[in-house]
Amino acid sequence: MAEFDRDPHSVMQILRRLQLQQNVIHQSDIEVLADGLNLPRTKIKAIIDFYSFLHDTPRGRYDIYFSDSITDHMLGSRDSARTLCEALGVEPGVPDPGGLATVDFTSCTGLCERGPAVLVNGIAIDRVDNERAIAMADLVRGLVPLEDWPLEWFVINDAIRRKGPLLQQTVQRGSALERAIKIGPDQVIADLGLSGLRGCGGAGFPTYRKWDICRKAGGDERFVICNADEGEPGTFKDRALLNTEGCNVIEGMTVCGITIGASEGFIYLRHEYEFLRERLEKRLRRRRQMGQLGRNILGHHGINFDIEIVMGAGSYVCGEESALIESLEGKRGIPRIRPPYPVTHGYRSRPTVVNNVETFAYAAGIVAEGPGFFKEDESHPGWKLLSISGDCESPGIYELPVGTKVGEALEACGAQDVQAVQVGGPGGILLSADETHRELSFDDSNTGGSFIVFDRSRDLLDVALNFTKFFAHESCGFCTPCRVGTKLMVRMADKIADGHGARLDIEQMRRLNHLMTKASHCGLGQSAAVPILTTYEKFPDAFSRRMEDVEYKPAFDVEAAIERSRQIVAEEAGIR
Amino acid sequence: MTGRIRIDRQSIPFAEGQTVIEAATDSGVFIPHLCYHPDYEANGSCKMCTCKINGRQVSSCTTPAVDGMVVESNTEELNSERRALAQMLFVEGNHHCPSCEHSGNCVLQDQAYKLGMTALIFPNLTVGRETDASHPDILLNRDRCIYCELCVRASRDTDGKDLFCITGRSQNKGLAVNSDTGLLKDSGITVEDAAANVCPVGCIIKKGKAFTKPIGQREYDLRKAHSNKIRSPKLPEFVKTPGEKVSVATCSLAGCFGCHMSFLDIDERIVKLVEHVQFDRSPINDIKSCSEVVDIGLVEGGVCNTENIETLREFRKSCKLLIAVGACAMSGGVPALRNPVDVRELLEESYIDAIGVENAQIPTDPELPHILEFVSPIHEVVKVDFFLPGCPPPADAFWQILNDIVEGRAPDLPYDLTYFD
Repeated sequence: MAEFDRDPHSVMQILRRLQLQQNVIHQSDIEVLADGLNLPRTKIKAIIDFYSFLHDTPRGRYDIYFSDSITDHMLGSRDSARTLCEALGVEPGVPDPGGLATVDFTSCTGLCERGPAVLVNGIAIDRVDNERAIAMADLVRGLVPLEDWPLEWFVINDAIRRKGPLLQQTVQRGSALERAIKIGPDQVIADLGLSGLRGCGGAGFPTYRKWDICRKAGGDERFVICNADEGEPGTFKDRALLNTEGCNVIEGMTVCGITIGASEGFIYLRHEYEFLRERLEKRLRRRRQMGQLGRNILGHHGINFDIEIVMGAGSYVCGEESALIESLEGKRGIPRIRPPYPVTHGYRSRPTVVNNVETFAYAAGIVAEGPGFFKEDESHPGWKLLSISGDCESPGIYELPVGTKVGEALEACGAQDVQAVQVGGPGGILLSADETHRELSFDDSNTGGSFIVFDRSRDLLDVALNFTKFFAHESCGFCTPCRVGTKLMVRMADKIADGHGARLDIEQMRRLNHLMTKASHCGLGQSAAVPILTTYEKFPDAFSRRMEDVEYKPAFDVEAAIERSRQIVAEEAGIR
Repeated sequence: MTGRIRIDRQSIPFAEGQTVIEAATDSGVFIPHLCYHPDYEANGSCKMCTCKINGRQVSSCTTPAVDGMVVESNTEELNSERRALAQMLFVEGNHHCPSCEHSGNCVLQDQAYKLGMTALIFPNLTVGRETDASHPDILLNRDRCIYCELCVRASRDTDGKDLFCITGRSQNKGLAVNSDTGLLKDSGITVEDAAANVCPVGCIIKKGKAFTKPIGQREYDLRKAHSNKIRSPKLPEFVKTPGEKVSVATCSLAGCFGCHMSFLDIDERIVKLVEHVQFDRSPINDIKSCSEVVDIGLVEGGVCNTENIETLREFRKSCKLLIAVGACAMSGGVPALRNPVDVRELLEESYIDAIGVENAQIPTDPELPHILEFVSPIHEVVKVDFFLPGCPPPADAFWQILNDIVEGRAPDLPYDLTYFD
């Protein structure tokens, strides 16, 4: 606690560290924290229950999570998980009596092109096939410390398949910073405006406007936040960017700080990317040594900006900027009521720029080399990083011009026999093979980076079900339409998948979708019912395989409902 | 900023800093709401007060009024969404009005009435959250929590105690009490606290006070003037030759026969009814099974064992129009209160631990129907055409619905005949 200055805002960081050290947060920890940070203990309990990776009941010494993203499913994650569970003699989510291991599932861990992925005590391991699962079980049973596990398991290479201006790494380190100081904030913002750069996380808000509004907002304290909570299933381009281009991102944040007049910045890094943390810390230290970060940047007196890395603890909704800020303040990640927007009332109610990793990286390039770095002319309006995964020869990162046709992207990644593409993750849009002429752009098929390919062997109802369950699991539970709606959608989708679906269920799902889209508090609830209904509209066969054409069919399973009674009667009859 | 906004074509003024719902309330325009309370900062979570403002749907409790704003509130589109929200809250928790002490004082119930909610169309998401009865004066029944966060705000902002907190997310969302033990008795809450008085539903209630005011004279019972006509679904076609009677079958599943008693309360009108109606299977005439084709089936009670399922399926097969009668048929009702309890515990309570039981044993005779793990509303087992809510529905409701159907009209029950408490 002393390390965190007894700041109640740090409670989540402390809890996360306790969890990783002890595999549990004890009741006594909660009490000590409550007294030390002057917080009600319920607030601490509230946080533990909110974040997926915090627990007040013990996990195993080896706490293993399989990524439950559809892309991992497609690469056999369920098989590997079963193998590991059997080898260790555990049920999913339940540690063995000796407390050796827990094998569980978690939402997408961002290793979609190299799954099945797992996290072991917070550290990512890729390509966990059955063979690796068995080897892993041996290591666990042998109590081999994680440090002594095969080194190659932990090497996360980035499959960079196509390079544009950003991935070609032409920008000299420090050049954006030098130019930003030379040309001044007005010109920085003008350049960003000319470049046409818009938020790359998916929302597409013009970057220059965000910076400009923040710069002109009242008060003298401002903040810069880099949103590295890349949780959209199927997205992993920020991971690669932080891995290979971390400096560009840091430089973009620093330029932003100088431009808007902030002296503090945060990288909110998702828990799943713990393996990137040390590398980033090292880069931050190096930049401080080189005078590119910290006090008096590049020797300019009074230009101060430093960056701290703050870790998430497992919550998709924290990718929404106002929820991210709540989380950064050490609270449950509930999206705030907007307006006011973070750009005027953000972190600690101060004006705050929150941008995606990719946005900062491009901004650095634009400031270093001018607007032409991003946008050549009207017919080449910019670039976008795509994370391509699923059924294709060459999954990985592609830097492609904005406006690239879906078909071109499919060709680039070597996709064959395509049935459908999910653009923009579960909350995005599902395109059929007839829609390859659609463009990847804000005005057509918008994506924050996720691009998942499904070939004709895939059952798209299973895919939609995976997405529906993902939303139900990640709903923050704040508003009625999303909290209850996502649960009901899972019930109804399961009903259909189990062969009990009928027309009335579809009708009810449509009504629910209408309500959730219109009345939910944030984008999660607004898009949660979309995947299953879009799949129904575009791929009716995926449904008709498991659905009779009847108006009503009950889900009620008499056999299941009387199983308990039968069991008791059998036990009783046995006794007599 | 001050000025005027238009709400459902009515122009109303607003004062500096007012939200849409505040301006509307000041001018006597009612916008349905649950988590909004004039004494507290808006929460914006229940979404009941959602209005269409300048063409976009937003919470009216968090949207500041702006001069010239155009607000739609009392439209069929918005009310049907609000009705769905009420239905979602009802199935999310255990909201069984007939067995709730707060009935008549409940804002959720009142709003549901005002919005014309007559049926719970969604599957029950049965919960078994922890009840805290530790405090001598106050009971916390978490199964009824709707997460409006009013107690959280009241305890923090008015009482200065900060005793309640929402924990977790999605599936494991909960309401926690800040005390060493997590129990209400150690929290320092008193009956005078705002937090003990602000709960809009029956989640935080005062012990020993539940029936000081009888049902029928409670806060919202007295204000039943807001009338909302119920729209009913289309009727199947009964092709009747002149003079041919409509056949009616009735039965009670897991119910108390109270609905049947209420039906008989139509008194001498039954003589008039039988001029047009022929009773088929019913406890009223003791006929034990349905004819091949029956026009209308009235089913009272929920589904709690295999015999209920058999009876219900027979009804559905024979009856052209199936009506769920009363709270138990609609939502499982009072029998569904056992849903969070394990079946063995239930059987032991009834057959072994009950007072006065001799030769205690759990019956194992294969002739006996099996008890189901959960009591379900009948629409989860068969298709239901119409819901007649109430505990029991009033005699006039039976009278009216049968008359409507006999005369070929779609049943159109006025507001004061469709309660579910």
